[in-house]
Amino acid sequence: MKIKMKFALFLGCTIPLKYPHLESAFREVSRIMDIELEEMKGASCCPEPVSLQSINVDAWMTLGARNLAIAEKMGMDVLTICSGCYETLKTVKVLLGRDKKQFNKVNSILKNIGYEYKGTSNVFHFVELFSRKEMLSQLEEKVVKPLDDLNIAAHYGCHLIRPSEIMEFDDPERPETMDSILNVLGARTVAFASKLECCGYCARLNEDIGYDLVKQKVVELVDLQSPVDAMVAVCPACVSQYDRKERILSRKLDKNLDIPILYLPELMAIALGVSTEKLDLNKRSVKPTKLIAKLKI
Amino acid sequence: MTEEKTIESNQLDHSLRYEISEKVGAKSLLKCIQCGVCSSGCTVSEYIDLQPHRVVASLLLGLKDIILESNAIWTCSLCHRCTERCPKGVDYSFILALLRNIASKEGKIPIEYSSTVETISENGFVVPYTGRMKNTINRRREKMGLPEVSSPDLDEINYILKETGLGNLMKKSKEDED
Ligand code: SF4
Ligand code: SF4
Repeated sequence: MKIKMKFALFLGCTIPLKYPHLESAFREVSRIMDIELEEMKGASCCPEPVSLQSINVDAWMTLGARNLAIAEKMGMDVLTICSGCYETLKTVKVLLGRDKKQFNKVNSILKNIGYEYKGTSNVFHFVELFSRKEMLSQLEEKVVKPLDDLNIAAHYGCHLIRPSEIMEFDDPERPETMDSILNVLGARTVAFASKLECCGYCARLNEDIGYDLVKQKVVELVDLQSPVDAMVAVCPACVSQYDRKERILSRKLDKNLDIPILYLPELMAIALGVSTEKLDLNKRSVKPTKLIAKLKI
Repeated sequence: MTEEKTIESNQLDHSLRYEISEKVGAKSLLKCIQCGVCSSGCTVSEYIDLQPHRVVASLLLGLKDIILESNAIWTCSLCHRCTERCPKGVDYSFILALLRNIASKEGKIPIEYSSTVETISENGFVVPYTGRMKNTINRRREKMGLPEVSSPDLDEINYILKETGLGNLMKKSKEDED
């Protein structure tokens, strides 16, 4: 069965304003998969779950509800392409659904600027969408460049799957959704001990935390018996965190850490036959040179 | 060796636990059984001076100053493993956010956090997106065949910040600049 889908596309800030090549990859995949995307005019930062939530939970929820209200007016569910946006918008929706007092408080503010939050739009991350059974088989049908020879390490990150009591999306201790998408594209996904570790991007006050976490994961992957061709993430914060810190760590540790980190839609786009000119795969500090050579693209 | 310090019971903040647990998402705070599971899986446990289960115990006792002075409330990677694994459903990572809210109200906000809120107030996004920046970004997007990013109405954003109590923070940082 072919499903026609239409979503309000929530871009957030980091991808459209800093890494538009990641957005391009996602849009290419959506086009091929027949997913219609409608722009959300007037949407703001989700707002990001680190600073605003820390300083004032009410402001965080009200700004989040304003974004959701925009999608509700469009009569559509929201599709996010960043795990931070996904976490904020979904958590705000779940919490407001559980607490009438907070719901009213948020709406009493929104009312004065012409919005109403009802709670009628659902929030999705593209991983959630593409890993549905029917979508996996559609994906499989559309693969023109199978990733047969690739060994991939899937990095789920935290906000996609935890806390599961709110996100309700994959097994928080043994997630499989990203692996299932990669496997359908033909790639092998590897098991590794630090698979579920955090990238450390949100630990803002102490950069050592990020360095230690990146080191733990990348060094483990470099030392694996069957080497991986890339690590794959679904959040721009994770992608930039590994990409930037891996280079610096290579110098610091005097060890060749050369595992490129890709955004899942980039690999999906390759498998679906999108030309590399449209993808800007070299726009990162650890270049996927070997991967490109291996795939002959 | 840790220094011993006696705290009189009249120095405890007995309402703290209710102030936190009344908030949506934090209701389960009072159910903590001090098992330590949150601390055992915490991503940042080596870097903090008060482990998660000790923060919860201090919170239940009303040791407000000890909590607010500890580096644990701002040193968190938001991995949510504490919340995920707590056998009693205590949402520790969210409770930590509420503790940061309390510190913020007292004016103790690290610059790394307040500056992001300022950027949102001025751009609607966490990335500068006005004037020349906006043009540069959109030229790049146009070349890639991507649509222009629409800016949110900043009056709306700032109205929300003001009504939720962040007006002062914005005003204060403006004054600091002047
Ligand atoms: S895991 Fe839960 S019950 Fe156990 S100490 Fe931590 S907060 Fe308390
Ligand atoms: S969310 Fe913060 S406190 Fe909880 S386990 Fe992760 S780093 Fe530790």
